[in-house]
Amino acid sequence: MFRVGIVGSGFMGSFHAAGWSQTPAELVGYHSLDQAQVNKLIERYGGRSFPTLDALLDAVDVVDICTPTHLHHPMILQAAAKGKHIVCEKPLTRTVAQAEEALSACRSAGVKLLVAHVVRFFPEYAQAKAIVDRGEIGRVGVVRLKRVSFQPRLAADNWFLDTEKSGGMILDLMIHDFDYARWVAGEVESVFAKSVRSARPDAAGDYALAILRHTNGALSHIEGGWAYPPPMFRTSLEIAGDGGLIEHPAGSSVPLSIHLKESGQGDAEIAVPASPLLEDPYVTEIKHFYDVLAHDAPPRVTAEDGLAVLKIAFAAVESARTGQRVTL
Amino acid sequence: MRFAIMSFAHLHAEAYINNLRAIPGVEMIGFADDDPARGQHFAALYNTRWFPTYEALIAEKPDGVIICTENARHRPLAEMAAAAGIAVLSEKPLATTLADAQAMVEACQRAGVPLMTAFPMRFSAPVIEVKKVLDSGALGTIYGCNATNQGQLPRLHTAYPRDWFVDKELAGGGAAADHTVHVADLLRWYFGSEVTEVYAELNHIFYQEPGIEVETGGLIMLSFANGAFATIDCSWSKPPHYPTWGGLTMELVGEGGLITLDPFRQVMTVYGKDAPRPRWAYWGSDPNQAMINEFVAAVKEKRAPAITGYDGYKAVEIVEAVYRSALSRQPVALPLS
Repeated sequence: MFRVGIVGSGFMGSFHAAGWSQTPAELVGYHSLDQAQVNKLIERYGGRSFPTLDALLDAVDVVDICTPTHLHHPMILQAAAKGKHIVCEKPLTRTVAQAEEALSACRSAGVKLLVAHVVRFFPEYAQAKAIVDRGEIGRVGVVRLKRVSFQPRLAADNWFLDTEKSGGMILDLMIHDFDYARWVAGEVESVFAKSVRSARPDAAGDYALAILRHTNGALSHIEGGWAYPPPMFRTSLEIAGDGGLIEHPAGSSVPLSIHLKESGQGDAEIAVPASPLLEDPYVTEIKHFYDVLAHDAPPRVTAEDGLAVLKIAFAAVESARTGQRVTL
Repeated sequence: MRFAIMSFAHLHAEAYINNLRAIPGVEMIGFADDDPARGQHFAALYNTRWFPTYEALIAEKPDGVIICTENARHRPLAEMAAAAGIAVLSEKPLATTLADAQAMVEACQRAGVPLMTAFPMRFSAPVIEVKKVLDSGALGTIYGCNATNQGQLPRLHTAYPRDWFVDKELAGGGAAADHTVHVADLLRWYFGSEVTEVYAELNHIFYQEPGIEVETGGLIMLSFANGAFATIDCSWSKPPHYPTWGGLTMELVGEGGLITLDPFRQVMTVYGKDAPRPRWAYWGSDPNQAMINEFVAAVKEKRAPAITGYDGYKAVEIVEAVYRSALSRQPVALPLS
């Protein structure tokens, strides 16, 4: 059994805490600037509050980084320097150079670096990948992925909207599907993308479309956005092969629908997919990370995957900015 | 009013002949086809007169003709009809080269006859509803559009053999030539704005069969003068066992929200007694009928049709840019010189 601590206590921090609480790992505690959030986590999942990251690191074997994106890089380096294994929310870091440095630091320190690309743990996405791998639809020709929500509206410190901190919608949200496309269809050769943000910097939210060509000739179409009216959030996947097709349109598999005259809907701060499952995909993800850390199971997402997808995301940002095709 | 069809090479002739017959006051005088086997087959199937040459049909002086040859053979027939003062409705794409499209527009202009391009989706009821919402301004500034016009290999939805759909010369290409123009035309109409740049990635992974040398998959990015961008998935990515021929979808995102459009979704699923797979039975309104009605009305009223030859020309220009971009692997600026 090992000891784990979480940095950051926002949405991802609380989802990960819920996950760790369902593993044999000891959830030692949290470091966060928001004491009220930490108190809620302590009440629910136990553990204690650490005043500094250093103090938390000294008390754990594994640190789980759930802070805003721009903080990932210094925290990974700090944890690696202390020889702690690391779980890190996506995107791995704010820049490609930071990710390369993080990988190198973790390799030197001999610690694991696990990137929380949770989409790989959503059952429909995992199932579609398994169907492709079984050869049920033949060779993949075109992959189509959608992920569009409303613009995040955190009551305090809405770091999502600060490009310096989050990298913007393409890095924060579309990266999920860049990762999935690469997982399903292989390495990416080139990216061509358009975004509202690059054309109209003053526009609220963002919306982008990207065309990827994979080295094996397959194509991927990725749609991402912070553009829908709240509380709308839609994802979809379609994978067409030379022998068959997987379709999973937005809203096509809603197993229940509740319409109440008094609903409190419409005031969510950020959009998280509602998938009524016996096990939340974030819990599935953390349980998998537990197996990787405790039993040396092969990780479903490697640090190299986290770096590779960052390169794709930045190629999309670059393409949208310059209007040119960007090769990888 | 007398109308006729030129060639049954394109499967849509089989819809249009019934559409013409359904219009009161229209006499469907028959069709010409220079392929005798095809001519005899469809003359018998539709119990109509077959003219073995196009000249013989033109000599009958119909008021209007619908050209349903292979894509690359529209031009000579349009020129022949125009010279005889006969109105022309051409199947899409208007032509396989920009030069041919331009020649068709000019020939009809010179002769003073209407030239219409067959873009039936403009007459689809759900498509028209979206146009109304956009014109109301409710979506505000339009950010972008994620569109698809996917299908099976075209020969899978024609009982009569029509292999020319995968012949690069006769069809002008594969999936991109077949499935770019409908969405491109709708977006030009919706936005009231022209395409300024085209980027395309094409591949050939679907339907790798002997005799198929054209692209069967493609993703296209269009940029418009109004600042909006749009993608079209033109792939023949629907497998042979799909419950319908394919479809067309659009998702329009703007500062005011989202509009989703799936005009072929007015279907019911049929699990037939002897059918190996479920089938979608379409029950929505027939856009082809509305389009043919408009062609007939334009001829009767001696006015320009709602969709012109120029619209067809602009769509051909986009297809040509798709192929140039796929070859150069660079975005291509429009208009093409």
